[in-house]
Amino acid sequence: MTLAVLSALVYASVLAYAVAREPTFAAAIAGLGGIGAVLLLFVLLGTEELLPWALACLGGAYALSLVAHGSAIDPRAPLVAVGLFTCGELASWSLQERYARATPRAITAARAVAVVALALSGLAVAALVLSISAVPAGNGVAWTVLGAAAAVAILGVAARLAQRAR
Amino acid sequence: MTRAVSPRLAGYAGLAALGLAAGLVAGRVELVALAAPFALAAVVGWALARPPRLEATLSVDRERALEGEHVTATLELASPDGADRVDVFLELPAALRAEAPNPRAVQLARHVPLTLELPFRCERWGAFGLGPVLLRVRDRFGFHTWEMHAGERSSLRVYPSVETLRTLLPPLETQVFVGNRVSRTRGDGIEFADVREWAPGDRLRRINWRASARRRELWVNDQHPERNTDVVLFLDTFSDVGSQGRGTLDLTVRAAASVAHRYLQHKDRVGLVSFGGFLSWLLPESGTRQLYRIVDSLLTMDVVLSYAVKGVDVLPPRSLPPKALVLALSPLLDQRSAAALLDLRARGFDLVVIEVSPVPFVEPGTGELADLSYRLWQLSRESLRARYQQAGVPVIEWREDVPFQVPFEEVAAYKRFAKHVRV
Repeated sequence: MTLAVLSALVYASVLAYAVAREPTFAAAIAGLGGIGAVLLLFVLLGTEELLPWALACLGGAYALSLVAHGSAIDPRAPLVAVGLFTCGELASWSLQERYARATPRAITAARAVAVVALALSGLAVAALVLSISAVPAGNGVAWTVLGAAAAVAILGVAARLAQRAR
Repeated sequence: MTRAVSPRLAGYAGLAALGLAAGLVAGRVELVALAAPFALAAVVGWALARPPRLEATLSVDRERALEGEHVTATLELASPDGADRVDVFLELPAALRAEAPNPRAVQLARHVPLTLELPFRCERWGAFGLGPVLLRVRDRFGFHTWEMHAGERSSLRVYPSVETLRTLLPPLETQVFVGNRVSRTRGDGIEFADVREWAPGDRLRRINWRASARRRELWVNDQHPERNTDVVLFLDTFSDVGSQGRGTLDLTVRAAASVAHRYLQHKDRVGLVSFGGFLSWLLPESGTRQLYRIVDSLLTMDVVLSYAVKGVDVLPPRSLPPKALVLALSPLLDQRSAAALLDLRARGFDLVVIEVSPVPFVEPGTGELADLSYRLWQLSRESLRARYQQAGVPVIEWREDVPFQVPFEEVAAYKRFAKHVRV
Protein backbone atom coordinates (compact mmCIF):
# COMPACT_ATOMS: atom_id res chain seq x y z
CA MET A 1 0.00 0.00 0.00
CA THR A 2 2.82 2.38 0.92
CA LEU A 3 4.54 1.71 -2.37
CA ALA A 4 1.32 2.33 -4.31
CA VAL A 5 0.73 5.63 -2.51
CA LEU A 6 4.34 6.70 -3.13
CA SER A 7 3.97 5.84 -6.82
CA ALA A 8 0.79 7.91 -7.06
CA LEU A 9 2.48 10.81 -5.24
CA VAL A 10 5.44 10.78 -7.63
CA TYR A 11 3.03 10.69 -10.58
CA ALA A 12 1.08 13.64 -9.17
CA SER A 13 4.29 15.61 -8.57
CA VAL A 14 5.47 15.19 -12.15
CA LEU A 15 2.02 16.09 -13.49
CA ALA A 16 1.85 19.14 -11.22
CA TYR A 17 5.24 20.25 -12.47
CA ALA A 18 4.15 19.88 -16.11
CA VAL A 19 0.94 21.83 -15.47
CA ALA A 20 2.72 24.55 -13.49
CA ARG A 21 5.35 24.94 -16.19
CA GLU A 22 2.81 25.89 -18.86
CA PRO A 23 -0.42 27.19 -17.27
CA THR A 24 -1.89 28.30 -20.63
CA PHE A 25 -2.28 24.66 -21.73
CA ALA A 26 -3.10 23.46 -18.23
CA ALA A 27 -6.39 21.83 -19.25
CA ALA A 28 -4.86 19.79 -22.07
CA ILE A 29 -1.84 18.77 -20.00
CA ALA A 30 -3.98 17.89 -16.99
CA GLY A 31 -6.42 16.00 -19.22
CA LEU A 32 -3.70 13.83 -20.73
CA GLY A 33 -2.15 13.38 -17.30
CA GLY A 34 -5.57 12.51 -15.89
CA ILE A 35 -5.99 9.71 -18.44
CA GLY A 36 -2.58 8.44 -17.34
CA ALA A 37 -3.66 8.72 -13.69
CA VAL A 38 -6.71 6.54 -14.38
CA LEU A 39 -4.47 4.02 -16.13
CA LEU A 40 -2.08 4.11 -13.17
CA LEU A 41 -5.01 3.42 -10.88
CA PHE A 42 -5.80 0.29 -12.90
CA VAL A 43 -2.13 -0.67 -12.70
CA LEU A 44 -2.15 -0.31 -8.94
CA LEU A 45 -5.28 -2.45 -8.82
CA GLY A 46 -3.48 -5.26 -10.61
CA THR A 47 -3.21 -4.68 -14.39
CA GLU A 48 0.54 -4.32 -14.82
CA GLU A 49 0.26 -4.33 -18.63
CA LEU A 50 -1.13 -0.79 -18.54
CA LEU A 51 1.94 0.64 -16.80
CA PRO A 52 3.81 1.77 -19.99
CA TRP A 53 0.63 3.47 -21.21
CA ALA A 54 0.20 5.37 -17.96
CA LEU A 55 3.82 6.52 -18.12
CA ALA A 56 3.46 7.39 -21.81
CA CYS A 57 0.46 9.61 -20.99
CA LEU A 58 2.45 11.40 -18.30
CA GLY A 59 5.44 11.72 -20.62
CA GLY A 60 3.09 13.04 -23.32
CA ALA A 61 1.69 15.63 -20.90
CA TYR A 62 5.22 16.75 -20.10
CA ALA A 63 6.13 16.83 -23.81
CA LEU A 64 3.08 19.00 -24.46
CA SER A 65 4.21 21.46 -21.79
CA LEU A 66 7.70 21.46 -23.33
CA VAL A 67 6.44 22.21 -26.83
CA ALA A 68 4.01 24.85 -25.59
CA HIS A 69 6.63 26.54 -23.46
CA GLY A 70 8.95 27.32 -26.35
CA SER A 71 12.39 26.29 -27.46
CA ALA A 72 14.17 26.89 -24.13
CA ILE A 73 15.67 23.70 -22.70
CA ASP A 74 14.15 22.58 -19.42
CA PRO A 75 17.06 21.90 -17.05
CA ARG A 76 14.80 19.82 -14.78
CA ALA A 77 14.05 17.26 -17.51
CA PRO A 78 16.39 14.63 -15.90
CA LEU A 79 14.42 14.94 -12.66
CA VAL A 80 11.17 14.48 -14.57
CA ALA A 81 12.68 11.41 -16.25
CA VAL A 82 13.69 9.96 -12.90
CA GLY A 83 10.23 10.78 -11.52
CA LEU A 84 8.58 8.87 -14.36
CA PHE A 85 10.90 5.92 -13.91
CA THR A 86 10.49 5.88 -10.10
CA CYS A 87 6.71 6.02 -10.48
CA GLY A 88 6.81 2.94 -12.72
CA GLU A 89 9.17 1.03 -10.44
CA LEU A 90 7.18 1.75 -7.29
CA ALA A 91 3.90 0.75 -8.96
CA SER A 92 5.39 -2.50 -10.17
CA TRP A 93 7.02 -3.21 -6.80
CA SER A 94 3.73 -2.65 -5.01
CA LEU A 95 2.08 -5.21 -7.31
CA GLN A 96 4.75 -7.80 -6.65
CA GLU A 97 4.55 -7.31 -2.90
CA ARG A 98 0.78 -7.54 -2.87
CA TYR A 99 0.75 -11.36 -2.91
CA ALA A 100 4.05 -11.89 -1.12
CA ARG A 101 3.97 -12.55 2.60
CA ALA A 102 6.71 -12.26 5.16
CA THR A 103 9.30 -10.57 2.97
CA PRO A 104 12.47 -10.22 5.04
CA ARG A 105 13.76 -6.71 5.59
CA ALA A 106 17.05 -7.55 3.84
CA ILE A 107 15.24 -8.34 0.57
CA THR A 108 13.20 -5.14 0.76
CA ALA A 109 16.33 -3.12 1.49
CA ALA A 110 18.23 -4.76 -1.38
CA ARG A 111 15.42 -3.95 -3.80
CA ALA A 112 15.17 -0.37 -2.53
CA VAL A 113 18.92 0.08 -2.96
CA ALA A 114 18.73 -1.38 -6.47
CA VAL A 115 15.85 0.89 -7.49
CA VAL A 116 17.59 3.96 -6.06
CA ALA A 117 20.85 3.02 -7.80
CA LEU A 118 19.07 2.55 -11.11
CA ALA A 119 17.18 5.82 -10.69
CA LEU A 120 20.39 7.71 -9.88
CA SER A 121 22.14 6.11 -12.85
CA GLY A 122 19.19 7.14 -15.03
CA LEU A 123 19.45 10.64 -13.63
CA ALA A 124 23.14 10.72 -14.47
CA VAL A 125 22.55 9.47 -18.02
CA ALA A 126 19.71 11.95 -18.57
CA ALA A 127 21.84 14.79 -17.21
CA LEU A 128 24.69 13.66 -19.47
CA VAL A 129 22.37 13.74 -22.48
CA LEU A 130 21.33 17.30 -21.62
CA SER A 131 24.94 18.39 -21.07
CA ILE A 132 26.08 16.84 -24.35
CA SER A 133 23.30 18.66 -26.17
CA ALA A 134 24.58 21.95 -24.76
CA VAL A 135 28.00 21.36 -26.34
CA PRO A 136 28.09 23.00 -29.84
CA ALA A 137 28.83 20.04 -32.09
CA GLY A 138 27.17 21.45 -35.20
CA ASN A 139 24.14 20.19 -37.05
CA GLY A 140 24.19 17.59 -39.74
CA VAL A 141 22.71 14.49 -41.24
CA ALA A 142 25.21 12.32 -39.37
CA TRP A 143 23.82 13.21 -35.96
CA THR A 144 20.25 12.69 -37.17
CA VAL A 145 21.15 9.27 -38.62
CA LEU A 146 22.92 8.33 -35.38
CA GLY A 147 19.90 9.34 -33.34
CA ALA A 148 17.56 7.47 -35.66
CA ALA A 149 19.79 4.38 -35.47
CA ALA A 150 19.74 4.55 -31.67
CA ALA A 151 15.95 4.81 -31.73
CA VAL A 152 15.68 1.85 -34.12
CA ALA A 153 18.08 -0.18 -31.98
CA ILE A 154 16.08 0.52 -28.85
CA LEU A 155 12.88 -0.34 -30.72
CA GLY A 156 14.46 -3.64 -31.77
CA VAL A 157 15.36 -4.39 -28.16
CA ALA A 158 11.79 -3.56 -27.14
CA ALA A 159 10.36 -5.86 -29.82
CA ARG A 160 12.68 -8.67 -28.77
CA LEU A 161 11.80 -8.28 -25.11
CA ALA A 162 8.10 -8.17 -25.92
CA GLN A 163 8.50 -11.39 -27.94
CA ARG A 164 10.27 -13.07 -24.99
CA ALA A 165 7.67 -11.87 -22.57
CA ARG A 166 5.01 -13.69 -24.58
CA MET B 1 11.82 -24.49 -15.12
CA THR B 2 9.53 -21.88 -16.62
CA ARG B 3 10.60 -18.32 -17.22
CA ALA B 4 8.46 -15.21 -17.33
CA VAL B 5 9.48 -11.70 -18.30
CA SER B 6 7.66 -8.80 -16.72
CA PRO B 7 5.64 -6.77 -19.24
CA ARG B 8 7.30 -3.78 -17.62
CA LEU B 9 10.64 -4.58 -19.27
CA ALA B 10 9.23 -4.50 -22.80
CA GLY B 11 7.22 -1.42 -21.82
CA TYR B 12 10.38 0.38 -20.66
CA ALA B 13 12.16 -0.45 -23.91
CA GLY B 14 9.12 0.79 -25.84
CA LEU B 15 9.03 4.03 -23.82
CA ALA B 16 12.75 4.56 -24.45
CA ALA B 17 12.23 4.08 -28.19
CA LEU B 18 9.23 6.38 -28.14
CA GLY B 19 11.18 9.07 -26.26
CA LEU B 20 14.10 8.87 -28.68
CA ALA B 21 11.84 8.99 -31.73
CA ALA B 22 9.78 11.86 -30.30
CA GLY B 23 12.97 13.74 -29.43
CA LEU B 24 14.19 13.34 -33.01
CA VAL B 25 10.89 14.41 -34.54
CA ALA B 26 10.26 17.35 -32.20
CA GLY B 27 13.92 18.31 -31.97
CA ARG B 28 13.74 18.34 -28.15
CA VAL B 29 16.63 16.92 -26.23
CA GLU B 30 14.50 16.75 -23.05
CA LEU B 31 12.49 13.91 -24.58
CA VAL B 32 15.71 12.00 -25.18
CA ALA B 33 16.67 12.66 -21.56
CA LEU B 34 13.22 11.42 -20.56
CA ALA B 35 13.93 8.15 -22.38
CA ALA B 36 17.37 7.66 -20.81
CA PRO B 37 16.39 5.94 -17.47
CA PHE B 38 14.04 3.59 -19.30
CA ALA B 39 16.68 2.66 -21.86
CA LEU B 40 19.14 2.05 -19.03
CA ALA B 41 16.62 -0.12 -17.16
CA ALA B 42 15.88 -2.14 -20.31
CA VAL B 43 19.58 -2.81 -20.86
CA VAL B 44 20.15 -3.73 -17.18
CA GLY B 45 17.08 -5.97 -17.19
CA TRP B 46 18.32 -7.76 -20.30
CA ALA B 47 21.76 -8.22 -18.77
CA LEU B 48 20.28 -9.77 -15.61
CA ALA B 49 18.46 -12.51 -17.48
CA ARG B 50 20.44 -15.53 -16.24
CA PRO B 51 18.57 -18.66 -15.24
CA PRO B 52 19.25 -19.49 -11.58
CA ARG B 53 20.91 -22.69 -10.45
CA LEU B 54 19.20 -23.98 -7.36
CA GLU B 55 19.49 -27.19 -5.41
CA ALA B 56 16.68 -28.06 -3.03
CA THR B 57 16.03 -30.96 -0.68
CA LEU B 58 12.74 -31.41 1.13
CA SER B 59 12.31 -33.66 4.14
CA VAL B 60 9.64 -34.23 6.76
CA ASP B 61 10.72 -35.07 10.29
CA ARG B 62 8.43 -38.10 10.47
CA GLU B 63 6.24 -40.28 8.30
CA ARG B 64 3.47 -40.88 10.82
CA ALA B 65 1.73 -38.51 13.19
CA LEU B 66 -1.40 -38.32 15.26
CA GLU B 67 -4.14 -35.77 14.81
CA GLY B 68 -3.24 -32.54 16.59
CA GLU B 69 0.49 -33.21 16.53
CA HIS B 70 3.05 -30.85 15.07
CA VAL B 71 5.27 -31.90 12.19
CA THR B 72 8.12 -29.95 10.62
CA ALA B 73 9.05 -29.92 6.96
CA THR B 74 12.64 -28.88 6.30
CA LEU B 75 13.82 -27.42 3.02
CA GLU B 76 17.51 -27.06 2.29
CA LEU B 77 18.34 -24.56 -0.45
CA ALA B 78 21.69 -23.85 -2.05
CA SER B 79 22.85 -22.00 -5.12
CA PRO B 80 26.35 -21.56 -6.58
CA ASP B 81 25.34 -18.14 -7.97
CA GLY B 82 23.11 -16.92 -5.14
CA ALA B 83 19.65 -15.49 -5.72
CA ASP B 84 18.30 -12.03 -4.94
CA ARG B 85 14.88 -13.27 -4.05
CA VAL B 86 13.42 -16.77 -3.83
CA ASP B 87 9.75 -17.24 -2.98
CA VAL B 88 9.24 -20.65 -1.40
CA PHE B 89 5.83 -22.27 -1.27
CA LEU B 90 5.02 -25.70 0.08
CA GLU B 91 1.50 -26.63 -0.91
CA LEU B 92 -0.26 -28.18 2.08
CA PRO B 93 -3.53 -30.07 2.04
CA ALA B 94 -6.44 -28.44 3.86
CA ALA B 95 -6.01 -30.90 6.74
CA LEU B 96 -2.52 -29.57 7.50
CA ARG B 97 -2.25 -26.02 8.81
CA ALA B 98 1.01 -24.14 8.44
CA GLU B 99 2.30 -22.48 11.60
CA ALA B 100 4.88 -20.33 9.84
CA PRO B 101 4.49 -18.02 6.85
CA ASN B 102 3.90 -20.01 3.68
CA PRO B 103 4.84 -18.79 1.08
CA ARG B 104 7.86 -16.90 2.27
CA ALA B 105 10.68 -15.01 0.57
CA VAL B 106 14.37 -15.63 1.20
CA GLN B 107 17.67 -14.39 -0.12
CA LEU B 108 20.37 -16.86 -1.07
CA ALA B 109 24.04 -16.03 -0.80
CA ARG B 110 26.60 -17.75 -3.04
CA HIS B 111 27.57 -21.24 -1.88
CA VAL B 112 25.85 -20.69 1.47
CA PRO B 113 23.16 -23.32 2.06
CA LEU B 114 19.99 -22.12 3.69
CA THR B 115 17.74 -24.29 5.84
CA LEU B 116 14.08 -23.37 6.09
CA GLU B 117 11.73 -25.01 8.53
CA LEU B 118 7.99 -25.04 8.05
CA PRO B 119 6.15 -26.36 11.09
CA PHE B 120 2.55 -27.37 10.56
CA ARG B 121 -0.22 -28.90 12.61
CA CYS B 122 -2.08 -32.03 11.58
CA GLU B 123 -5.70 -30.97 11.84
CA ARG B 124 -7.34 -34.07 10.41
CA TRP B 125 -6.45 -37.68 9.70
CA GLY B 126 -5.48 -38.79 6.23
CA ALA B 127 -2.67 -39.94 3.97
CA PHE B 128 -0.95 -36.97 2.40
CA GLY B 129 1.81 -36.28 -0.06
CA LEU B 130 4.01 -33.28 0.66
CA GLY B 131 6.08 -31.58 -1.98
CA PRO B 132 7.69 -30.87 -4.27
CA VAL B 133 8.21 -27.27 -3.25
CA LEU B 134 7.37 -24.47 -5.65
CA LEU B 135 10.26 -22.06 -5.99
CA ARG B 136 9.96 -18.69 -7.69
CA VAL B 137 13.21 -16.86 -8.28
CA ARG B 138 13.26 -13.17 -9.20
CA ASP B 139 16.07 -10.90 -10.22
CA ARG B 140 16.74 -7.82 -8.12
CA PHE B 141 14.40 -5.56 -10.12
CA GLY B 142 11.67 -8.12 -10.65
CA PHE B 143 12.10 -8.06 -14.44
CA HIS B 144 12.53 -11.83 -14.78
CA THR B 145 10.86 -14.65 -12.89
CA TRP B 146 11.78 -18.33 -12.96
CA GLU B 147 9.49 -20.96 -11.48
CA MET B 148 10.41 -24.53 -10.72
CA HIS B 149 9.43 -27.47 -8.57
CA ALA B 150 12.17 -28.82 -6.34
CA GLY B 151 12.62 -31.55 -3.76
CA GLU B 152 11.24 -35.04 -3.55
CA ARG B 153 7.68 -35.88 -2.63
CA SER B 154 7.36 -37.09 0.97
CA SER B 155 4.45 -38.97 2.43
CA LEU B 156 2.81 -38.30 5.75
CA ARG B 157 0.17 -40.40 7.41
CA VAL B 158 -1.90 -38.70 10.05
CA TYR B 159 -3.72 -41.17 12.24
CA PRO B 160 -7.05 -40.30 13.81
CA SER B 161 -7.02 -39.73 17.53
CA VAL B 162 -8.31 -42.73 19.44
CA GLU B 163 -11.24 -42.33 21.80
CA THR B 164 -11.03 -44.08 25.13
CA LEU B 165 -13.44 -46.99 25.44
CA ARG B 166 -13.79 -48.38 28.93
CA THR B 167 -15.88 -51.41 28.04
CA LEU B 168 -16.23 -53.43 24.89
CA LEU B 169 -19.12 -55.37 23.49
CA PRO B 170 -18.86 -59.03 24.42
CA PRO B 171 -19.59 -61.45 21.57
CA LEU B 172 -22.26 -64.11 21.82
CA GLU B 173 -19.65 -66.79 21.26
CA THR B 174 -15.89 -66.79 21.57
CA GLN B 175 -13.34 -68.46 19.33
CA VAL B 176 -11.10 -71.36 20.26
CA PHE B 177 -7.91 -69.38 20.71
CA VAL B 178 -6.64 -68.12 24.05
CA GLY B 179 -7.51 -64.55 24.84
CA ASN B 180 -8.68 -62.20 27.56
CA ARG B 181 -12.40 -62.79 27.25
CA VAL B 182 -14.24 -65.15 29.57
CA SER B 183 -16.03 -67.71 27.44
CA ARG B 184 -19.57 -68.87 28.07
CA THR B 185 -18.44 -72.46 27.62
CA ARG B 186 -16.80 -74.50 30.35
CA GLY B 187 -13.29 -75.84 30.34
CA ASP B 188 -9.85 -75.05 31.68
CA GLY B 189 -9.69 -71.50 32.90
CA ILE B 190 -9.54 -69.21 35.88
CA GLU B 191 -13.10 -67.92 36.25
CA PHE B 192 -15.28 -70.18 38.39
CA ALA B 193 -18.39 -71.40 36.58
CA ASP B 194 -20.08 -74.15 38.63
CA VAL B 195 -19.58 -77.40 40.55
CA ARG B 196 -20.50 -80.81 39.21
CA GLU B 197 -20.02 -84.45 40.06
CA TRP B 198 -16.66 -85.96 39.44
CA ALA B 199 -16.27 -87.85 36.21
CA PRO B 200 -13.44 -90.10 35.08
CA GLY B 201 -10.66 -88.02 33.60
CA ASP B 202 -11.13 -85.05 35.90
CA ARG B 203 -7.93 -83.81 37.50
CA LEU B 204 -7.36 -84.14 41.18
CA ARG B 205 -6.70 -80.43 41.68
CA ARG B 206 -10.16 -79.56 40.34
CA ILE B 207 -11.89 -81.38 43.18
CA ASN B 208 -13.88 -79.03 45.40
CA TRP B 209 -13.13 -80.59 48.77
CA ARG B 210 -15.72 -78.59 50.72
CA ALA B 211 -18.55 -79.53 48.37
CA SER B 212 -17.32 -83.11 48.30
CA ALA B 213 -17.26 -83.27 52.14
CA ARG B 214 -20.81 -81.95 52.37
CA ARG B 215 -22.18 -84.34 49.74
CA ARG B 216 -19.94 -87.32 50.72
CA GLU B 217 -18.98 -87.84 47.08
CA LEU B 218 -16.48 -86.21 44.80
CA TRP B 219 -17.44 -82.91 43.24
CA VAL B 220 -15.26 -80.82 40.97
CA ASN B 221 -15.13 -77.16 40.02
CA ASP B 222 -15.95 -76.06 36.49
CA GLN B 223 -14.31 -72.98 34.99
CA HIS B 224 -14.89 -70.67 32.09
CA PRO B 225 -11.90 -70.69 29.76
CA GLU B 226 -10.33 -67.42 28.57
CA ARG B 227 -10.77 -67.17 24.85
CA ASN B 228 -10.46 -64.52 22.23
CA THR B 229 -13.05 -63.29 19.80
CA ASP B 230 -13.21 -62.27 16.16
CA VAL B 231 -14.53 -58.80 15.51
CA VAL B 232 -15.30 -57.64 11.99
CA LEU B 233 -15.70 -53.91 11.50
CA PHE B 234 -18.18 -53.52 8.70
CA LEU B 235 -17.95 -49.96 7.37
CA ASP B 236 -20.60 -48.62 5.04
CA THR B 237 -18.75 -46.39 2.58
CA PHE B 238 -21.48 -46.00 0.01
CA SER B 239 -22.28 -42.46 1.10
CA ASP B 240 -20.94 -39.61 3.16
CA VAL B 241 -22.99 -36.75 4.55
CA GLY B 242 -21.21 -33.73 5.95
CA SER B 243 -19.26 -30.64 5.16
CA GLN B 244 -15.84 -29.08 5.74
CA GLY B 245 -14.12 -32.33 6.58
CA ARG B 246 -16.68 -33.36 9.17
CA GLY B 247 -19.24 -35.95 8.23
CA THR B 248 -20.42 -39.49 8.62
CA LEU B 249 -17.37 -41.01 6.95
CA ASP B 250 -15.04 -39.02 9.22
CA LEU B 251 -16.94 -40.22 12.28
CA THR B 252 -16.97 -43.78 10.96
CA VAL B 253 -13.21 -43.80 10.51
CA ARG B 254 -12.60 -42.34 13.96
CA ALA B 255 -14.92 -44.85 15.61
CA ALA B 256 -13.44 -47.77 13.68
CA ALA B 257 -9.89 -46.78 14.70
CA SER B 258 -10.91 -46.55 18.37
CA VAL B 259 -12.73 -49.88 18.32
CA ALA B 260 -9.94 -51.69 16.49
CA HIS B 261 -7.38 -50.29 18.89
CA ARG B 262 -9.31 -51.40 21.95
CA TYR B 263 -10.21 -54.91 20.73
CA LEU B 264 -6.65 -55.56 19.58
CA GLN B 265 -5.43 -54.53 23.04
CA HIS B 266 -7.62 -57.35 24.36
CA LYS B 267 -5.81 -59.87 22.13
CA ASP B 268 -8.88 -60.26 19.95
CA ARG B 269 -8.67 -60.67 16.21
CA VAL B 270 -10.04 -57.72 14.27
CA GLY B 271 -10.92 -57.65 10.59
CA LEU B 272 -12.21 -54.87 8.39
CA VAL B 273 -14.71 -54.77 5.57
CA SER B 274 -15.22 -51.56 3.67
CA PHE B 275 -18.50 -52.08 1.90
CA GLY B 276 -19.13 -49.37 -0.66
CA GLY B 277 -18.50 -48.36 -4.24
CA PHE B 278 -14.97 -49.64 -3.72
CA LEU B 279 -14.91 -52.91 -1.82
CA SER B 280 -11.94 -53.78 0.38
CA TRP B 281 -11.31 -56.04 3.33
CA LEU B 282 -8.69 -57.17 5.80
CA LEU B 283 -8.81 -60.67 7.22
CA PRO B 284 -9.12 -60.81 11.02
CA GLU B 285 -5.79 -60.92 12.79
CA SER B 286 -4.42 -59.78 16.09
CA GLY B 287 -1.44 -57.71 17.15
CA THR B 288 0.00 -54.25 16.67
CA ARG B 289 0.79 -54.86 13.03
CA GLN B 290 -2.88 -55.50 12.35
CA LEU B 291 -3.73 -52.22 14.05
CA TYR B 292 -1.41 -50.37 11.68
CA ARG B 293 -2.86 -52.29 8.72
CA ILE B 294 -6.38 -51.33 9.72
CA VAL B 295 -5.57 -47.68 10.36
CA ASP B 296 -3.60 -47.40 7.10
CA SER B 297 -6.58 -48.87 5.32
CA LEU B 298 -8.92 -46.44 7.06
CA LEU B 299 -6.80 -43.46 6.00
CA THR B 300 -7.28 -44.23 2.33
CA MET B 301 -10.98 -44.86 2.72
CA ASP B 302 -13.21 -42.72 0.57
CA VAL B 303 -16.67 -42.71 -0.91
CA VAL B 304 -16.72 -43.99 -4.49
CA LEU B 305 -19.90 -43.55 -6.46
CA SER B 306 -21.19 -46.84 -7.80
CA TYR B 307 -24.51 -48.11 -9.09
CA ALA B 308 -23.48 -51.77 -8.91
CA VAL B 309 -25.75 -53.95 -6.81
CA LYS B 310 -23.60 -55.67 -4.21
CA GLY B 311 -24.28 -58.22 -1.54
CA VAL B 312 -22.17 -59.98 1.06
CA ASP B 313 -21.67 -62.80 -1.46
CA VAL B 314 -18.88 -60.77 -3.04
CA LEU B 315 -16.84 -60.93 0.17
CA PRO B 316 -14.38 -63.80 0.63
CA PRO B 317 -15.68 -66.24 3.30
CA ARG B 318 -12.53 -65.83 5.43
CA SER B 319 -13.24 -62.13 5.90
CA LEU B 320 -16.37 -63.07 7.88
CA PRO B 321 -15.36 -65.98 10.11
CA PRO B 322 -18.08 -67.97 11.92
CA LYS B 323 -19.04 -66.77 15.42
CA ALA B 324 -17.54 -63.36 14.67
CA LEU B 325 -19.04 -60.25 16.17
CA VAL B 326 -19.88 -58.00 13.21
CA LEU B 327 -19.86 -54.37 14.25
CA ALA B 328 -21.40 -52.31 11.48
CA LEU B 329 -20.88 -48.56 11.30
CA SER B 330 -23.31 -47.13 8.83
CA PRO B 331 -25.29 -43.92 8.23
CA LEU B 332 -28.11 -46.20 7.01
CA LEU B 333 -28.53 -44.24 3.81
CA ASP B 334 -27.87 -46.81 1.13
CA GLN B 335 -30.25 -49.68 0.56
CA ARG B 336 -27.45 -51.97 -0.57
CA SER B 337 -25.64 -51.84 2.76
CA ALA B 338 -28.93 -52.11 4.64
CA ALA B 339 -29.79 -55.28 2.70
CA ALA B 340 -26.29 -56.69 3.16
CA LEU B 341 -26.49 -56.25 6.93
CA LEU B 342 -29.86 -58.01 7.10
CA ASP B 343 -28.36 -60.78 5.00
CA LEU B 344 -25.51 -61.12 7.50
CA ARG B 345 -27.98 -61.37 10.35
CA ALA B 346 -29.92 -64.02 8.44
CA ARG B 347 -26.69 -66.01 8.14
CA GLY B 348 -26.50 -66.09 11.92
CA PHE B 349 -23.78 -63.52 12.57
CA ASP B 350 -23.79 -61.68 15.86
CA LEU B 351 -24.53 -58.27 14.35
CA VAL B 352 -24.55 -54.84 15.97
CA VAL B 353 -25.37 -51.75 13.93
CA ILE B 354 -24.10 -48.41 15.12
CA GLU B 355 -25.90 -45.80 13.11
CA VAL B 356 -23.56 -42.89 12.44
CA SER B 357 -26.30 -40.34 12.31
CA PRO B 358 -26.37 -38.09 9.25
CA VAL B 359 -29.22 -36.05 10.77
CA PRO B 360 -27.01 -33.32 12.35
CA PHE B 361 -25.41 -32.73 8.95
CA VAL B 362 -28.70 -32.33 7.07
CA GLU B 363 -30.43 -28.96 6.88
CA PRO B 364 -34.21 -29.46 6.89
CA GLY B 365 -34.81 -26.71 4.33
CA THR B 366 -37.56 -24.14 4.37
CA GLY B 367 -41.09 -24.44 3.15
CA GLU B 368 -43.89 -26.89 3.63
CA LEU B 369 -42.68 -29.32 0.97
CA ALA B 370 -39.12 -29.38 2.34
CA ASP B 371 -40.45 -29.93 5.85
CA LEU B 372 -42.65 -32.77 4.63
CA SER B 373 -39.76 -34.41 2.77
CA TYR B 374 -37.55 -34.12 5.84
CA ARG B 375 -40.16 -35.78 8.03
CA LEU B 376 -40.74 -38.52 5.46
CA TRP B 377 -37.00 -39.15 5.30
CA GLN B 378 -36.83 -39.48 9.07
CA LEU B 379 -39.83 -41.84 9.03
CA SER B 380 -38.15 -44.03 6.43
CA ARG B 381 -35.10 -44.21 8.70
CA GLU B 382 -37.32 -45.19 11.63
CA SER B 383 -38.84 -47.92 9.52
CA LEU B 384 -35.41 -49.27 8.58
CA ARG B 385 -34.41 -49.33 12.25
CA ALA B 386 -37.58 -51.22 13.05
CA ARG B 387 -36.71 -53.83 10.41
CA TYR B 388 -33.36 -54.40 12.05
CA GLN B 389 -34.89 -54.64 15.51
CA GLN B 390 -37.40 -57.18 14.23
CA ALA B 391 -34.46 -59.25 13.09
CA GLY B 392 -32.93 -58.99 16.57
CA VAL B 393 -30.22 -56.57 15.57
CA PRO B 394 -29.51 -53.73 17.99
CA VAL B 395 -29.39 -50.40 16.14
CA ILE B 396 -27.99 -47.54 18.16
CA GLU B 397 -27.85 -44.02 16.87
CA TRP B 398 -24.58 -42.24 17.44
CA ARG B 399 -24.10 -38.50 16.97
CA GLU B 400 -20.93 -36.49 16.70
CA ASP B 401 -21.19 -34.74 20.06
CA VAL B 402 -21.73 -37.96 22.01
CA PRO B 403 -18.78 -40.08 23.24
CA PHE B 404 -18.48 -43.37 21.41
CA GLN B 405 -18.73 -45.20 24.71
CA VAL B 406 -22.44 -44.31 24.94
CA PRO B 407 -23.70 -46.43 22.01
CA PHE B 408 -21.56 -49.31 23.30
CA GLU B 409 -23.28 -49.10 26.66
CA GLU B 410 -26.68 -48.95 24.95
CA VAL B 411 -25.90 -52.04 22.88
CA ALA B 412 -24.76 -53.86 26.02
CA ALA B 413 -28.02 -52.94 27.75
CA TYR B 414 -30.03 -54.02 24.70
CA LYS B 415 -28.26 -57.35 24.63
CA ARG B 416 -28.81 -57.89 28.34
CA PHE B 417 -32.57 -57.49 28.12
CA ALA B 418 -33.43 -58.56 24.59
CA LYS B 419 -34.57 -62.05 23.82
CA HIS B 420 -32.50 -64.10 21.50
CA VAL B 421 -34.16 -64.25 18.13
CA ARG B 422 -33.55 -67.00 15.63
CA VAL B 423 -34.13 -65.62 12.15
